[in-house]
Amino acid sequence: MIGVALDEHPDDVREFAEGISYPVLIDREHVLSELYAVSNVPTVLWIDEHERIARPNGVAFGVDMFVELTGIPAEPHKQAVRDWVTRGVVDLPAEELAGAVDDLSDAEVAARLEFRIAAHLRRRGDDAGAATHFARAAELAPYDFSVRRAAMPLQGEDPFGEKFFALYEEWQAAGSPYHGLPRPTS
Amino acid sequence: MQVAVLSDETRSVDAQVFGDRVVVSPGDLPDAIGWELKPEGLCRDDVCVPVRDPSSIEAGDGIDLVAAAAALGCPAAVSIESGVVAIGQPAATRKRAIEGMEAVPFTLPDLDGELHSLDEWRGSKKLVHVFASW
Repeated sequence: MIGVALDEHPDDVREFAEGISYPVLIDREHVLSELYAVSNVPTVLWIDEHERIARPNGVAFGVDMFVELTGIPAEPHKQAVRDWVTRGVVDLPAEELAGAVDDLSDAEVAARLEFRIAAHLRRRGDDAGAATHFARAAELAPYDFSVRRAAMPLQGEDPFGEKFFALYEEWQAAGSPYHGLPRPTS
Repeated sequence: MQVAVLSDETRSVDAQVFGDRVVVSPGDLPDAIGWELKPEGLCRDDVCVPVRDPSSIEAGDGIDLVAAAAALGCPAAVSIESGVVAIGQPAATRKRAIEGMEAVPFTLPDLDGELHSLDEWRGSKKLVHVFASW
């Protein structure tokens, strides 16, 4: 297992990494968000021994803490991981895996760059400049949580507050866009 | 003016701004983007990317940073008013991951700042769990 946190600072992540024995990396510049088109968290992908993506971006949870909100129980994915590790079997047919992740649009790529500019300006204390570029990023990728929700704590907003739930509703109304496998149905 | 360039690392370089173009002297290009302009193209370590039309990245006596990024196949965004250029991942590398389902390499720090590359786990099955505090 490799954990990758789309967070600004290691201190934001430490409490989540406590007691975890696998490496936890921090992706402040959203490298995976761009290279692997990660548009929300949690996103899980499987990489095999031949450095191929065996199962691309998908939503999966380790525990059932959010199951009432997400409707995605943890156990089916955990069993699928066990089957993959012990028997090399992937739980989904090959034709569902290939092409499951849509490439980023030019606007979604540009949104990631605007996000990075905003985060940089915030780091140097230019909150007004940061706000301008966070807003531009949100316009370019309105349903991308790695852009919009990630910006909330950097703008003093609660990522579990009203703004998040408003975004969640907008996102659902837009058809729950996600760069990855369809959400598993229970 | 000093311009911050965000690419594989964050660099600061002396640049001139012409309209919406950010231009550095050719000698400062490695300090700006980590690539050097040579007769064979844009080079880093032992890799050179040919520049088909050198005039496309030139601006007067200098090099246009966004055009140089484009010559490397990388998207870029500029904030002229704030003096920041952000350079993204090569689009071809992204397509290898997304369309080719190839585990393209990345290097990121752990919580103690120590760098790790996907290569470290070469030959093993890996479950990459992307998460966030938000």
